[in-house]
Amino acid sequence: MKTLTVIAAMALLLLYVWERVEIVRIGYQVERLKIKKVALERERDELQVKLSALTSPERIARVATGKLGLVPPERGQVILVNIKPEAPASYRGRGLTMPEVKLARNDPMWKVP
Amino acid sequence: MVAAPRRGRCIVVALVLLAGFVVVLFRLFNLQILQAAELTVKADRQHRKAISVQGPRGSIFDRNGKVLAINMDVPSVFGVPASLDDPSGVARHLSPVLHVRAGEIERKLKQERSFVWIARKLDPEQGRRLEHMPLEGIGVVMEGQRFYPKGPLLSHVLGFAGMDSQGLEGIERRYDPYLRGEKQMVVLQRDALGRTVFPKGLHDQTPSTGHNVILTIDEVIQYIAEKELEEAVTATRAKGGIVIVMEPRTGAILAMAVNPRFDPNAVQGISADRWRNRALTDTYEPGSTMKIFVAAAALEEKVMEPSTLVYGENGHMVVAKTVIHDHERMGWMTFAQVVQRSSNIGSVKTATALGEERLYRWLRAFGFGERTEIDLPGEVAGLVKEPRDWGRRSLASIAIGQEIGVTPLQLVTAVAAIANGGWLMKPHTVSEIRDEKGRVVVHVSPQVRRQPISPESVRTLSKILEGVVTHGTGSKAAVPGYRVAGKTGTAQKIDPRTGAYSSNLSVGSFVGYVPAEDPRLAVVVVIDEPQTEAWGGVVAAPVFRRVAEQALQYLGVSSQEPVKLAMTSRSEMARP
Repeated sequence: MKTLTVIAAMALLLLYVWERVEIVRIGYQVERLKIKKVALERERDELQVKLSALTSPERIARVATGKLGLVPPERGQVILVNIKPEAPASYRGRGLTMPEVKLARNDPMWKVP
Repeated sequence: MVAAPRRGRCIVVALVLLAGFVVVLFRLFNLQILQAAELTVKADRQHRKAISVQGPRGSIFDRNGKVLAINMDVPSVFGVPASLDDPSGVARHLSPVLHVRAGEIERKLKQERSFVWIARKLDPEQGRRLEHMPLEGIGVVMEGQRFYPKGPLLSHVLGFAGMDSQGLEGIERRYDPYLRGEKQMVVLQRDALGRTVFPKGLHDQTPSTGHNVILTIDEVIQYIAEKELEEAVTATRAKGGIVIVMEPRTGAILAMAVNPRFDPNAVQGISADRWRNRALTDTYEPGSTMKIFVAAAALEEKVMEPSTLVYGENGHMVVAKTVIHDHERMGWMTFAQVVQRSSNIGSVKTATALGEERLYRWLRAFGFGERTEIDLPGEVAGLVKEPRDWGRRSLASIAIGQEIGVTPLQLVTAVAAIANGGWLMKPHTVSEIRDEKGRVVVHVSPQVRRQPISPESVRTLSKILEGVVTHGTGSKAAVPGYRVAGKTGTAQKIDPRTGAYSSNLSVGSFVGYVPAEDPRLAVVVVIDEPQTEAWGGVVAAPVFRRVAEQALQYLGVSSQEPVKLAMTSRSEMARP
């Protein structure tokens, strides 16, 4: 009985010490991760600045016209239409298809059904 | 059986050990109980370090979430001269990385000081190269730096922030309380080596980032406006110019271009004259664009109808002993033609029919002489004198846009009121403010200031203004496929040397909206002191057309006119 009590007391003591040691160890680990987080955040900001500068409309226009030899569309080359989701009834059942219209914008290529 | 001497030795050893323990116990008692309070304070002072940390400044985005201003940590290099053995050697190593002459660095390192800045706010790439170069007595710290990745784009609206991250101009200044990061004292727990260890308590102590500001500006429309303005200013060899694009229904500013531009990343050495947002801080005499509002008043007060006949006096009329001219000799014309052909005499006669009090009241109703209350700093109210301060010629002068000072912003806001059916909106550049987690802190809804004019009068006036573009002075503003309504303006400037109207200094402008039947854009173009040609219809109207044409296409506003190109159906395309 006596030995059991001693062993239990020792075990409790060890548990307590182990817990303290773990707290300190994890504490250091947290600090290391925090430093890593800051570094990653810096990298993210840096990339965001770069992305933003590279996608600026001025640069895109310069690259498009200067490097790639693109030109702004002439009048009449871009046709914007009001998209109506359904083909008119008169088209249906008569073997007619609606003209396919593409929008010259960044939107996904819309197609009239 | 243990011998007596051996037993004696055991007792001696036990006593010695006991004495030792007593000493230790006494010391423990002394430290842990008697001096406990005092020592705890001392230990805390050594383990803990309180530092003041400022959270990073929030970012500024355009309406589509494109970054316009952002904070980034960049390296700054300092030296500790006292701990340097070989300043010239260190200087030689640093020189190629920092792009500073070795002699210059050496001079700094030889100063009798404990701390010197060698170079501040460097490129992150330079910081990485310095990391691989461990030099005794040289250190790198990270400092927050404001970046405007798009360079001069929108510079006059964004403004800029100072070295210590405080907003000094534009949005940066007006929204500084939101953008500014939180300042907080942070307590760090340090170990014997000075490393930071886990702080007591689990709560996160990092100070929060400033809020993010989302603008109503669209960077693409802004770019279109700046590009076209720049081209026009260069082509006409003008002093500068302004373009504002507004959404008439909401008062949201889509673009505000001021020329010449500046780069907010490098404001040092640039004069206030250059970065002042002249679209709202400077007034000018608007000239004929003012005739829109004289006409609006006359229609609403039923003084005139579009078909009312007005005699043009053959382009020559005497008012208060001064002569008022028209740019062409006109006889009888309808009231609609007065506006469309921009007749000074017709407009003066309209104003005379209205009378001083009514004209004044109407100008004030459209927001002239008071701030638009836009959310940008530095706005002026402009100048509209009260009738009791008017001279004998004032009524005639004001009718043709002289003796009155307006800002381009006031002008476009007032025209937007005609475009949207009569509502004078409060212009704004910010649509939302969000915290770092993306939660909306402030949401800006369109605000009506008043309704100065009835929808019926607006419809009549709008038809007249469409005529300005289809067969009047503003033909160069016509956007193919869309109905445009607007008005040209050409104003002489007052020569600062003589105090009289100058014969060669002028301001050419155009203000209008498109599509006239359902306006999506209200645009004002002001070209300051063009050298090649003075007329607003020649220098400013083409800028309106080019900006409107590209912006409408970008926004996906479809043309109301039938498309002239033949469209092929799939079956036709399949044929050989």
